[in-house]
Amino acid sequence: MMRLVWRQIIGHPVRSLLTVGAVLVGVFLLCLLRSVVTALNAGVDAASSVRLMVQSSVSLFVSLPISYQARIAQVEGVQAVAKWQWFGGYYQDPSNFFGQFAVDPVQQFEVYPEIELPAEQKQRFLERRNSCIVGDQLFEQFKDEWQIGGTIPMIGALFPHPDGADTAWEFELAGVYHSSSGALDNRTLFFQWDYFEKTADIEECGVFVLKVAPGADVTRIMAEIDALYENGPQKVRTTTEKEFQRQFVTMLGAVPLFVSWIGGGAALAILLACVNTMLMAARQQVHDVGILKALGFTDAATFRLMLAQSLSLCCLGGASGVLLALATEGYLVGVLGTFFPGYTIEPQTVALGFGAALAMGLVAGLLPAAQSARLNCVQALRGA
Amino acid sequence: MSEAMIQARGLTKRYQRGGETLVVLDGLDLEMQAGRFYALMGPSGSGKTTLLNLIGGLDHADEGELVVSGESLDELDGAELAHWRAANVGFVFQGFNLIPVLSAFENVELPLKLTPLSRAERRKHAEYALELVGLKDRMRHRPKQLSGGQEQRVAIARAIATDPKLILADEPTGDLDRKSADQVLELLARLNREFQKTILMVTHDPHAANSAQSVVRLEKGQLQGIEDNPAPTARSAGR
Repeated sequence: MMRLVWRQIIGHPVRSLLTVGAVLVGVFLLCLLRSVVTALNAGVDAASSVRLMVQSSVSLFVSLPISYQARIAQVEGVQAVAKWQWFGGYYQDPSNFFGQFAVDPVQQFEVYPEIELPAEQKQRFLERRNSCIVGDQLFEQFKDEWQIGGTIPMIGALFPHPDGADTAWEFELAGVYHSSSGALDNRTLFFQWDYFEKTADIEECGVFVLKVAPGADVTRIMAEIDALYENGPQKVRTTTEKEFQRQFVTMLGAVPLFVSWIGGGAALAILLACVNTMLMAARQQVHDVGILKALGFTDAATFRLMLAQSLSLCCLGGASGVLLALATEGYLVGVLGTFFPGYTIEPQTVALGFGAALAMGLVAGLLPAAQSARLNCVQALRGA
Repeated sequence: MSEAMIQARGLTKRYQRGGETLVVLDGLDLEMQAGRFYALMGPSGSGKTTLLNLIGGLDHADEGELVVSGESLDELDGAELAHWRAANVGFVFQGFNLIPVLSAFENVELPLKLTPLSRAERRKHAEYALELVGLKDRMRHRPKQLSGGQEQRVAIARAIATDPKLILADEPTGDLDRKSADQVLELLARLNREFQKTILMVTHDPHAANSAQSVVRLEKGQLQGIEDNPAPTARSAGR
């Protein structure tokens, strides 16, 4: 029976290719969009339970005095506090956008133990005042231009160099890190706070990231830190890392929902096209169904034949779509990685792609299969 | 006297067309013996193809009783009738009715898939059937790569692949030139002569009817008579 199914598929190459192509595009889009939504939530899902973020209670865009760091570090249960400041520069061209932060290097490694890099590179970063480290995905993007020990010139958009807006900040590349957690992406540049502070003459930072001691009461620590600055000069809000990450997703408003709707809409449109194609296929095969019935094939057998055609076409398209999504993953990480760090085709996404293709095949095949099963043999042989 | 292959009593078939009831078979009584070659003749609309469809289990009669190869077809439901067809009847149609996307071999093998035969046995049966019709060397060809006569011979091979007792042929030479038609008629006669197949062939063509041992005449849905043909031509030609 499967031979006949395949022969019917191969026997109508244009129709089959168009159907497979439509499902391929649909499943590819589904995988892509789901991965984007997953990437948006990756930071939230991977957030550490022992990291807290301290930011201004007014807004994330209001800075905090760096003098807060020492007092926050004294709160019982706080193990380490690192300053983080968004630099907002660009490399060579504004289109080369990626995250850059000035951080306390020692505390950074304490707060983010998931940062992995060779010991000598780490040492170099800690020792050299104007050094920086970059994530391996970012390094991969610029590997032809960057080398360890070399200089990365960055134009400071938010913090112009004191020698002039056109003068680049020069960071020496000390090492390439890999983050083993989704809470920290691999497309960011971190450089020394001291270099930043002295050069830009800054006394404020964006947020403090702190690590709490094992077994410490996180709720109490958050309340104590907030209470420290209840009366100013700048009120703070302490949140868990998960909550902090979530506010970035919230900033996007209904974008994840919108993206999901686009995916769902595309899948529905393709499903309707598949139903139409399979109905046309069933109509073209009325005579063949009549022959099969005359030979002794039952109504159930012709039902299965038509359903198997639909399933085969959709599964072929689905498998191709999933393979295309997997094959382009690396390329899309480079293209989308800055905006959607953590973009990856997860096994659940692969399963969803296959499942959607299977469901499409089933739904698209049911009506034509039922029509074929109901066909009267004599009328079918007349080509009715 | 050989046993009866087909027994019809009061067979009636009506169609509704444009709000009008058309009586195609009108209380037909008929008996045909096993192992004989019958030609079924009559003017257009006399009910020949309808009778062939009822005998082949492709359709149900509205009234009457029809026993074919010992089975009362009125008592079988759709699935049972399909199984019965697969085991007992081989069809040969005017338009050949081969599945265009399958090769000659695959077309012949198709009904064998409804049997418990293994793949190797199916292959053997299909090749034998194609050899019998003289087309083993064309078994990989698709229907559109064959001539009309060759297509009809492939259809005959498919009809005999499962070794049914009864072969029903509806105008098998209607779309063929004279030479191809003669080959097909000779083949049918040979199946009857050497393999004792009961053959019922609908035809308009008196020349084709001459191949049969008996000619059944229908008119307005009723049997006009059955005449024996003392010297069937294809039979003679085959000798």
